[in-house]
Amino acid sequence: MNENKTIGMNIGYRKGTLAFGLFLVIAWFLPWIVDEGKSYGQVQFALKVLKNSEIHMAGKLLFVGIPVLTLVLAIFGVALMLRPSKKIAGFYAAVAALETASLMVLMISAKGILDSAQILERKFMVTHFGFGFWIALICGFATLFCAMRTAKIHPGYILLVILSVIWLFPILWIVLTALREESGYYVGYFFPKHLTLNNFKELFSDTSLIHFGKWWTNTLFVATCNCILSSLIVLMTAFALSKTRFNGRLTLMKIMLIIGMFPGFMSMVAVYNILKGIGIAQTLGALILVNAAGAAMGYYIVKGFFDTIPKSLDEAALLDGATKWQVFTKITIPMSKPVIIYTVLTSFIGPWGDYIFPSMMLGDNQSQYTVALGLNWLTDFRRIDAYYTQFAAGALLISLPIVILFVALQRFYVEGMSGAVKG
Amino acid sequence: MKNSSFIKAFREGDIFSKISYLIWGLSNIVRGQIVKGLAFLAIEISYIIFMITSGVQNIENLFTLGTQQQGMVYNEAIGIYEIAQGDNSMLFLLYGVATIVVSLMAIAVWFVSVGSGERARVCKENGHPVPKLKDELKALLDKKIYRTFLAIPFVGILVFTITPLIYMILMAFTNYDADHQPPGNLFHWVGLDTFKQILSGNNNISATFWPVLGWTLIWGVIATFSCYFLGMFLAILINSDGIRGKKIWRTIFMLTMAIPAFVSLLVVSTMLGGNGIINVLLQKWGFTTQALPFLTNGLWAKVTIIIVNLWIGIPSTMLMVTGILMNIPKELYESAKIDGAGPVKTFTKITFPYMLFITTPYLITNLIGNFNNFGVIYFLTGGGPSTLDYYKGAGKTDLLVTWLYKLTKDNNDFNYAAALGIIIFVISALVSLITYSRSKAIKDEEGFQ
Repeated sequence: MNENKTIGMNIGYRKGTLAFGLFLVIAWFLPWIVDEGKSYGQVQFALKVLKNSEIHMAGKLLFVGIPVLTLVLAIFGVALMLRPSKKIAGFYAAVAALETASLMVLMISAKGILDSAQILERKFMVTHFGFGFWIALICGFATLFCAMRTAKIHPGYILLVILSVIWLFPILWIVLTALREESGYYVGYFFPKHLTLNNFKELFSDTSLIHFGKWWTNTLFVATCNCILSSLIVLMTAFALSKTRFNGRLTLMKIMLIIGMFPGFMSMVAVYNILKGIGIAQTLGALILVNAAGAAMGYYIVKGFFDTIPKSLDEAALLDGATKWQVFTKITIPMSKPVIIYTVLTSFIGPWGDYIFPSMMLGDNQSQYTVALGLNWLTDFRRIDAYYTQFAAGALLISLPIVILFVALQRFYVEGMSGAVKG
Repeated sequence: MKNSSFIKAFREGDIFSKISYLIWGLSNIVRGQIVKGLAFLAIEISYIIFMITSGVQNIENLFTLGTQQQGMVYNEAIGIYEIAQGDNSMLFLLYGVATIVVSLMAIAVWFVSVGSGERARVCKENGHPVPKLKDELKALLDKKIYRTFLAIPFVGILVFTITPLIYMILMAFTNYDADHQPPGNLFHWVGLDTFKQILSGNNNISATFWPVLGWTLIWGVIATFSCYFLGMFLAILINSDGIRGKKIWRTIFMLTMAIPAFVSLLVVSTMLGGNGIINVLLQKWGFTTQALPFLTNGLWAKVTIIIVNLWIGIPSTMLMVTGILMNIPKELYESAKIDGAGPVKTFTKITFPYMLFITTPYLITNLIGNFNNFGVIYFLTGGGPSTLDYYKGAGKTDLLVTWLYKLTKDNNDFNYAAALGIIIFVISALVSLITYSRSKAIKDEEGFQ
């Protein structure tokens, strides 16, 4: 054990590395691709691909590269056994990563490469890979895992990379769609043939059916008002409930908890009727008013944070003759920067993504639509085909500022959230 | 306190205190708090005027919900049939509820006014100076700051949350469905009939309710716990010692959280459609020969929704857990390491119990939030695929809330929607009651101060 630590490696994993590397070599001779009863080994098939003139270079490189990489792995596996060194282990891990990545790429691109050259008797499907391929894939990952362990690189990176690809995939798709010149919802490929910025321009042109500029300013207006009003109301409510003691405080909190358990939009029909009575139904003002009116219900997170500010501070200030108002403005507010930023951030972001409520409040009054309503309107099945690329551009335009805000202020978000769970 | 001086005024007060039960604020005026007393009096007078002019009528209408149905009446003067405006049950209900809320407020003011007059009297009799208007206004920024701070939220919640809520709750006890739409038709009180139909009726509605309820519960539990554990796993993974670039990894996963949920859901929903990019790629890569019914087959759609929800839900758990992980005392881990505990044991003995203790409230809110997770269902499948086995337009992936939405928005079956809302409330309340009462983090409100 001691010896292992001194040279900065996990020597114990070398055996695994070598064993799985050798398995990869064995996989050379197992059925790689099955074609109407005939089955090809890995090397055999690589030669077949190499001879075919219709397959382009990248395809050939992929089919030939995998057995070559396997060979390299086997050689270095042995070398690692004989002369363990950190450099070799690191190099080994890199090659193993390349091998695994190549196998994954092969899995999804084999059909494209083989079908175009008609090298097989039938259309290729993933199920036509022989079990040699699947063994290679599993062993590839196992080798990579052991190699990373040997080189003392955290194997968690494998998972993180795979997950990141999954997480970023839809985002990449929407970015590419927004830049795509060919319009339409259905296109048979992932990467656009031609790139353009026209989709963005069209969003703001007057002739278009899409009043994106109007939707955007509407939402900005609602978000700004909401941000100011709601934040103030939430801060005041949380302060009153956290830092003052009065009769009925607990009852009030219980009542709010109970009311909060009713599904919010259950009462929207009634709210709509009340707003109609006041005469402001179907306007942005109504949206702002109702948002602000209900804002206090979300006091929990801020109160949780205020609760953690030591009481002794307030008491000291009160002893010195400060009023509660001064405690609020001079002590509580300055000490609550993270949670205030969290509140402002969430109340600003809220209206951008709020759909149900505006849809109930604004009905068919399109001049008052917010982006959420507008974009959803665009993905209706009657419009989706004509406006899909513009929809993507719009989605990108509203997400971008929010993402930037969010990433820049993520520290406060984390602190605000962990304040919330404290109680 | 309020109550005690309210009663004390009757037992111990002088003649003015006693009269102030009838003439609000009189006791205040006599003791020198003129503005305050007059304000109470003004409120009393305006309440009485309101009740005489419309309030009493509103209450009466609330009981009948209207008797005069809209219909054609023969007008003899001009010799034709013309439409006679009937009663509008819906407005009657709304006005009735509003009147009750106003009355409750008036009663509250009555209590306050008598109590306040009594306190002024006691002050004067004991020789203390009676607080002047200026002092009382000052106190609103000091000892009584909660009154100032809570006034706006209180009015807002009263008008836009509580009143509508009472209105909708009452609606569950009427027959305000698609066949009884005001102003053309009247609706009436039917007691618990709506609930009976939903819960045990031998009809389409209860045949929809039970499966939808089942899916709501299954979805809520799976969605909450899958996101919770996987998010925790991801946070621990990113947080572990050997991983570099923690911030970058975190940011990558946070992107889905930062993008407004409806955008990412709409995008994913279009990606998963029959002609969506996922199906295109799966066919191009040779995984399948025909489009997979991600959102159009009941079971497929349910699984898809749960997986897409992971994509959205894991990052927020990850962020929260990251915050907590940093708070776990490092010494715990060090001593565990010295005692020879492996990573699995440290997780089950230290990290997880600590996490569970702190995050129970979060888990409950999350569970209830998922029972009511409108967005994911609405934007991904819209509740579909719809089936003829279910009541008008309800679909295989509908949750109780999305069904409620459909009932109000598309079907105008307000009584069923209201009853569903109450049922959702009962479920949420039960879940939180059971768990909150056991959670120490809630009981210990003062623990951190």
